Amino acid sequence: MSLETFASSRALSLGVELELQLVSTHDYDLAASAEDLLRVMARKDVPGDVKPEMTCSMIEVSTGICNDYAQVAEELEALRAALTAAARRLNIGICGGGTHAFQDWSERRIFDKPRFHYLSDLYGYLAKQFTVFGQHVHIGCPGPDAALYLLHGMSRYIPHLIALSASSPYVQGKDTGFQSARLNSVFAFPLSGRAPFVESWAEFEAYFAKMSKTGVVESMKDFYWDIRPKPEYGTIEVRVMDTPLTVSRAAAIAAYIQAIARYLMIERPIRLSEDDYLVYTFNRFQACRFGFTGSYVNPETHEQRSVADEVEASFARIEQHAIELGCDEALGELLRQVRDRRNDTAWLRERHGAGMPLPELVMDQCGRWMGGGAM
Amino acid sequence: MDQLIWPAWPLPLGALLPVALALVLTALVGEAGRRIGLPRVSGYVLAGIVLGPLALGWFDANDLASYRLVVDFTIALILFELGLRLDLRWLITNRWVVAASAGEMALTFALTFGALWAVGTGPRVALAVAAIAVGTSPVILMHVTNELRAAGPTTDRLLALCALNVTVSLILLKLLVGVLHGTHAGWQLALLHPLYLLLGSALAGALIAAAYLGLRKIVDPTSEQGLAALIALLLAALALLSALRLPTQLAPIIAGAFIKWRDPRPHLWPQQVGTVGGVLVIVTFMLSGAAVSAGELFAGAGVGLLAILVRALAKLGGAMAFGPVSGLDLRKSLALGVGLMPLSILALLQAEDVRLLYPEFGDRLLPIVVAMAVVLGLLGPIATRRALIRVREHRRGEHS
Repeated sequence: MSLETFASSRALSLGVELELQLVSTHDYDLAASAEDLLRVMARKDVPGDVKPEMTCSMIEVSTGICNDYAQVAEELEALRAALTAAARRLNIGICGGGTHAFQDWSERRIFDKPRFHYLSDLYGYLAKQFTVFGQHVHIGCPGPDAALYLLHGMSRYIPHLIALSASSPYVQGKDTGFQSARLNSVFAFPLSGRAPFVESWAEFEAYFAKMSKTGVVESMKDFYWDIRPKPEYGTIEVRVMDTPLTVSRAAAIAAYIQAIARYLMIERPIRLSEDDYLVYTFNRFQACRFGFTGSYVNPETHEQRSVADEVEASFARIEQHAIELGCDEALGELLRQVRDRRNDTAWLRERHGAGMPLPELVMDQCGRWMGGGAM
Repeated sequence: MDQLIWPAWPLPLGALLPVALALVLTALVGEAGRRIGLPRVSGYVLAGIVLGPLALGWFDANDLASYRLVVDFTIALILFELGLRLDLRWLITNRWVVAASAGEMALTFALTFGALWAVGTGPRVALAVAAIAVGTSPVILMHVTNELRAAGPTTDRLLALCALNVTVSLILLKLLVGVLHGTHAGWQLALLHPLYLLLGSALAGALIAAAYLGLRKIVDPTSEQGLAALIALLLAALALLSALRLPTQLAPIIAGAFIKWRDPRPHLWPQQVGTVGGVLVIVTFMLSGAAVSAGELFAGAGVGLLAILVRALAKLGGAMAFGPVSGLDLRKSLALGVGLMPLSILALLQAEDVRLLYPEFGDRLLPIVVAMAVVLGLLGPIATRRALIRVREHRRGEHS
């Protein structure tokens, strides 16, 4: 199968997908409720889309193509309100968070859809272990070459995005010590990690053709890269974020990505190099493990500083673009939290550390998401 | 002196050894059932029937009476947990679930009464059977859903409807007993007694709930002390309920629902309660066979089978008619109806309690209920298990 042609899209347009957890309101463990929730949602008039995911205890919601932070926030809020009403009717809890704190992966059921059964047959238990929940953000690109520039440029900001969105310290009932343990599950997939370093679409097509010939991949869907081009939408898709605990945080993170994209596209501040990726996995690991307190190695200068300092510095670089995009207020709030070293993982650990049992913690997560609590 | 030092012959083993043996046998039959893909509970019911007067005769009705506290405690424990699953907030948000429950119960009551009356069973017996038929076995449903670790919309409704069914079934039968009182002792008693039972149970339920919520602040419910406190609370409640001659089943359900209402946090059992509860469930089913004698089983077989058939049609019809408006699709509504089939020890106890008050009436009622409880105790769990697996709400059990 050949690669689709890169569709045209409005530069810097924005689309957000959130994978969400469906839990029982009795024990707050994951419950197989996706089918029923999707059926109820199909009758509702909401912006964007609600789709099934790999296992029966997860769904994915997505906004339509948005212009800016305000529109993303509005659509996500409308989706949240509709989902909350449906969930209350069905007696389901819905929450954010990159992992469920104590679910047992072996108890998950694959959603009854040919692609998910195919993936389950191919990846075996990894498919059920893939019951992790991420936020994906699409950014519209003026053309395919620009998309690749944006992809490689954005790869420097992966640690920032991981630290900002981290909300998965617990896996199978235990504190992993990671701020984002979700990405460790993604890493188990053979075609995960970073995209190959090619700078033109022609080279990318050649790469895809070679991969396709090996029989390993059929479409772009088979790549689980941190950032991947999405030719049919004319976008790049940033996929490293955990699903935040509130839609407002998800919207703010999307706005942050949009502002970085504008900065990269307009200022073209960096010269891309394969050597950028020398520190990529190290930086990514540090952000997953330690969040804001992890170390970040600058790919050009090799200078080391904390992820938090680097994130703060990035806010200064993109400030003007945030103002142009109308998201400076939302980013201001995000920056305040960076200065306090606050992310959702901190929120979760604070509660569990104070003795709250994990089922109650998941209940509070549901309250936060369904009640629409602030960032 | 020697007599106190050396063992007597034959060894005076008392009642413990047969009970121990019966317990092992019941557990083994349950395990054998599991290996051929049946729910363990079906095996326990089968073992209970075989151990009772129907086959081996290890237990009879007297044993059931003397171990009644164990059985009542088990049922109270299970009904308390079932009550905690009855989330009143949800029922207020989605009133169609209550409508579905009301529809399914009304249909069951009306059709069962109609069918039995039509074949010439006296109206009072027909009413009593209809009242018992409204119920669904909480012990079987909780056991099967726990065994499968089932969760999802069908499971939620199954347990909510079970809790409502048990409550309404108990109330209907109390009202009927009230009518019997009226015949024997005047209308004031007929009115006042059910009222006393209902208000007393509601008050007792509120008291148990308040005590539990208070205890939860002092002891961690998942700790050993939490387990001791919970058991102590339920035992004290049973003692009080019995002393006040209140039914021991209504108050625990009411208490559970009240607790979930006041404190929506997950109220999960410590591991030990599961273990203790498991052993008690085996004992309960082992003893339930004591109520099943051959004479009664065959005397009630014909009418019992008719009642089973009508009840099945009514539960299925009710679930199919009202399930979809409450948010289930047709397939899951069917599964809900099938899942409501089990009837067992609680139905037997309901009939047994009526017989204690009115032996002659009870003698006509019990055979029909015994026949229903035997068939629906054996086949009901299989139906519930299959239904939940069919709609893929099991988290443990078969592969998918």
